[in-house]
Amino acid sequence: MPVVSATETETFAALYERTFPRVYAYVASLVRDRSAAEDVTAQAFERAYRKRSSYRPRRGSMEAWLFGIARNAALDELRRRKRRATLESDPEDTSAPSLEDHADLALRRELVRAAMATLEGNERDLIALKFSGGLSNAEIARVLGMSETNAGTRLHRALTKLRKACDDAS
Amino acid sequence: MTHPEDTATIERDLRAVNAALSGGAPTHDDPTARELQELALALQADSPVPDRTFAHELGARVEAGFAAEPGARSSRFRLPRLNLLPVAGVAAPLLLIVAVVFALGGPPSGGGGNDEETSSGDSGGGGGAEVLDGGGVAAAPEAPAGRSSSSAEGALAAPPADAPGFAPAQRQRRIERSIAMTLTAPDEEIPALADGVNRVAARNGGFVLSSELDTGDGGSTGSYELRIPSGRLQAALRGLAGLGTVSSQSQNGQDVTRDFVTAADRLEAARAERRSLLRRLEEADTDEASEALRVRLDLVAGEINGLRSQLRELRLRTDYAIVSVDLIGEEGDSGSGGAGGAFDDAVGDAKNLLVGFAGVLIRVLAVAIPLSLIAGLGWLVTGATRRRRRESALA
Repeated sequence: MPVVSATETETFAALYERTFPRVYAYVASLVRDRSAAEDVTAQAFERAYRKRSSYRPRRGSMEAWLFGIARNAALDELRRRKRRATLESDPEDTSAPSLEDHADLALRRELVRAAMATLEGNERDLIALKFSGGLSNAEIARVLGMSETNAGTRLHRALTKLRKACDDAS
Repeated sequence: MTHPEDTATIERDLRAVNAALSGGAPTHDDPTARELQELALALQADSPVPDRTFAHELGARVEAGFAAEPGARSSRFRLPRLNLLPVAGVAAPLLLIVAVVFALGGPPSGGGGNDEETSSGDSGGGGGAEVLDGGGVAAAPEAPAGRSSSSAEGALAAPPADAPGFAPAQRQRRIERSIAMTLTAPDEEIPALADGVNRVAARNGGFVLSSELDTGDGGSTGSYELRIPSGRLQAALRGLAGLGTVSSQSQNGQDVTRDFVTAADRLEAARAERRSLLRRLEEADTDEASEALRVRLDLVAGEINGLRSQLRELRLRTDYAIVSVDLIGEEGDSGSGGAGGAFDDAVGDAKNLLVGFAGVLIRVLAVAIPLSLIAGLGWLVTGATRRRRRESALA
């Protein structure tokens, strides 16, 4: 078992503080199940903690590395539980609108969710990495193993498709 | 391929999206870019939010360094989880290569046969005729313990099944063997070496058929032709190798079993015919018939004598191995001639050592490089397969 110094634990704790909500949001967007998202998020952080010595800065930022681990864990979970049907279904309302929410906001949210359902799985993955994970295009490229230009082009294509789906639905 | 204008649009839109995400509000003048900004903000706002209890629990686990939970099996004693796919991906080609290497190399066997150069060896068939059991492949006999390596060490064995002289029904093989050996020693030691050759031949029940020794100013040389009983060949070769440095050695084996069997059968038939002729001669009642039978008996007697002689010669050739020993004197010291000689020896030894090491290294690399390439390829393929299988969850 690796010996863990206090400094290392603090560094990892800082990474956790900085990324936890975004990692959870990204994982939840993929697995579409609150309980599974919690399991996968915890698993991803634990896996990252145990493998933190394998992180190499020259291969990208620590966040990209962490999201790569989270993505693999989420995809493994999807495969294991054969969640394909769930992925294609309507997303779970993980943040239920409060009474103060405007009707317009709720409507727009429903519209976007319906439009999301028309995207391919890898397009939803890109959207989730960008808007739930809050990653830069360079970090997305690192996570998905492609060039930054390619990641930007694909992201733009997915956004354009989503906007068109929203227009068609409205 | 993306059109340059498209590229500009993409870059503009992506910049606008990033600006909206940073600023929290749509700001772009272009309606399309603005729409994308609004969409980006909606997507960001719609991101799932973690439960506070879960966040608190996970935060505590991070602070504790993911220590083992009570009742859970300690990770210290957990067996490493094996991912069988990459293991199998790498192991399968490795096993294949090992199998191919073994199949191509094959186990060492006693090959050889008629007129085929082989190395020293002796089947140890007693003091009489050289015999090998069954006509099959004989096991490789022990090589002679020479002071240095010979040029062709290995095994002398029965010839292959399709070789001339092969008599499949015969279990007792008759092999004619000849060995050529070159011994080197310092010039001044050649006479003693020659004496040693004589002693080795006598000690093993053999004899010197011919010998030649020249100890002139141009260097000492000698040449011996020995006959050694086949059953003592191994011991004799060991003794000869112990006399000097074996600079080369080769062996030749020829299966003459068929010749032997044929001659023996013909002799038996000739004897039977002779007996028959003698009986008929006793019963002959005319002079003409008796004369004709006597003529025939003379012919058969000649044939019997010829066959006996042929069999005797074959026995001699197979009962005794021919051992040719060349003695070559070397100028210089005998190992105690001064620092220069010792230095030359050391350089020679070092050179031999390096050559041997290079040979081993080349063999190792010849196996290791293809193995590494295949293992690397297997690793890449299994990695790609695993990635594709993972990605299939998104398809």
